Amino acid sequence: MPAPEAPVIDIRGLDKTYVSGFRRRKVHALKGVDLTVQPGEVLGILGPNGAGKTTLLKVLLGIVSPSAGQARLFGQPAGHPAARARLGYLPENHRFPPYLTARQTLDVYGRLADLTHNERTERIPRLLEEVGLASWEDVRVGKFSKGMMQRLGLAQALLNRPEIVVLDEPTDGVDPVGRRDIRDRLRALRAAGTTVVINSHLLSEIELVCDRVLIMNRGRIIRSGSVDDVARQNTGWRIQLTDLPPTFDAAAWGAVIEESGSSLILENGDPDNLNRLIDALRSDGRTILGVERHRSSLEAGFIDLITSEDGNAPRTEGGAS
Amino acid sequence: MRTLSGSLLLTFRELWAMRLTQAMFAVATLAWVLLSFALNMDVVEGSLAAIRIFGFETQPTSGVWDEAAGEYVKQAVSLDQFMIGINTFVVGAAYFLGTMLGLFATMPLVNGFLEQGRVDLLLSKPLSRSRLLLGHLIGVWITVGVLSAYLVGGVWLSMAVKTGFWLPEVLWAIPIISIMFAVMYSVILFFGVGTRSSGLGLVVAYGLVFVSVILASHEAIIPVLSDTSVVIFKGLYHALPNFAEVVKILAQLVAQEDVTTWYPLISSLLFGGAVHALAFFWFLKRDF
Repeated sequence: MPAPEAPVIDIRGLDKTYVSGFRRRKVHALKGVDLTVQPGEVLGILGPNGAGKTTLLKVLLGIVSPSAGQARLFGQPAGHPAARARLGYLPENHRFPPYLTARQTLDVYGRLADLTHNERTERIPRLLEEVGLASWEDVRVGKFSKGMMQRLGLAQALLNRPEIVVLDEPTDGVDPVGRRDIRDRLRALRAAGTTVVINSHLLSEIELVCDRVLIMNRGRIIRSGSVDDVARQNTGWRIQLTDLPPTFDAAAWGAVIEESGSSLILENGDPDNLNRLIDALRSDGRTILGVERHRSSLEAGFIDLITSEDGNAPRTEGGAS
Repeated sequence: MRTLSGSLLLTFRELWAMRLTQAMFAVATLAWVLLSFALNMDVVEGSLAAIRIFGFETQPTSGVWDEAAGEYVKQAVSLDQFMIGINTFVVGAAYFLGTMLGLFATMPLVNGFLEQGRVDLLLSKPLSRSRLLLGHLIGVWITVGVLSAYLVGGVWLSMAVKTGFWLPEVLWAIPIISIMFAVMYSVILFFGVGTRSSGLGLVVAYGLVFVSVILASHEAIIPVLSDTSVVIFKGLYHALPNFAEVVKILAQLVAQEDVTTWYPLISSLLFGGAVHALAFFWFLKRDF
């Protein structure tokens, strides 16, 4: 039996507390986070603003130091230059010097990534071509739109042929065509066996490209699993019928009436409950046209999780993005 | 080494992109071109008979005590005396103006370097934080060194070629301006790293220059202070950079005199070293 591969990311009991202001106000951005990411995995991190997503990525890169616990990247302590040499990073709201052209930007960041002259000469034109900026290579970055900056940022993150790519809001400000291009690029990375960690507000993006989703709230990981696992939390039934009884109490059955007025979503997936409801509707003279499994979207699953989490926990401490 | 070259290149490109740096090169060029073409001297037997600046003529003289006559008499200034005087003035002006303008021109660089979205991108690269900051600092120091060499060297060369009077001691101004710039830049760096406001650092650096002018008069001020005030004044004199007093060292070097004391330069260097160390420590430790 082959030995299991060492995880690319190994995080144990990670805490991060920011202390700010003269009153030394504490903000717990991360609380006891445990996470492992295997080689070749595409992980999506979701969470509301202030959930601690960006802090988690920054700890991993050594940009922020942990208050407690440990984070390891390729077996090295997070932030170790040797580990960072194998990583590509696109930060949220990244800024490139506006006076550099696209080619000069990649050349400078290529040097910082310790690429040789030959490597830079070979990769820069190819990457600019791949992200659709070949015809803009000699234009100053200051003239670039937000979407073009994102594309250039992605090219920069891929310069050193990284084994892991960490992307913080990669499609922020990118038009639909650009988003599709970035998705295709991520799929190509996955096919090539590159580990990808994406932090995004766009749940549809995560749904389309990620193998695993991790949902964070208030500095904790509250759910981790495949897209299906997270969405399936709310798997129920859709019942189509001719019309509904005028006195039908949907809430009492744990059901939601759809806009058409002729179908119901029974949020509880229990088959006994489904059969009792069908019996009640039929005894009231309604004709059932169809019954099918209803799987909520990742977005619905995410919102339900966050809402129930916020409903259960008192909001005493702020988070950090 | 490649990673350091990337950090250096980024600093050079940024400095070049900032028009202020180019303006400083233009001002330096203007200074030595004016001295080359606008200043004309008539030298008679080693003394200045007349000077013409932009066509306006004057006869520089100095008062000399005549024992026989029992009065001061006017005498033509020797070329050596004049050249030392004008060079002292030029390097003194270059020292104060060059350093102050240099600090003003390079101040935005710290803000740009530490800007959110940019510093985290730099920190994600496989080079240590100390190397990243060192690349930034070396880039700034080299640029200011080149600027001061261009200004002082240009003035010195044009004057020397024009008069045939070579005063290589003037070139001391290049390392001294560069060193004192680095000392004062450490203040901007320290406040920039700590507060992300290099503007605050610039205000403090200019404040220290102003305080150094007062501290430079310590021999005249200390005798009139109370005992407690003397302790505080001396404490400040030893702890803070003696920016203004260093110009005396420069003047003595240019005048080919023995330097009375190197202490102002040494204490300033120690201050710069300590503040740089603090800025590095803070940069290594803080979250971005």
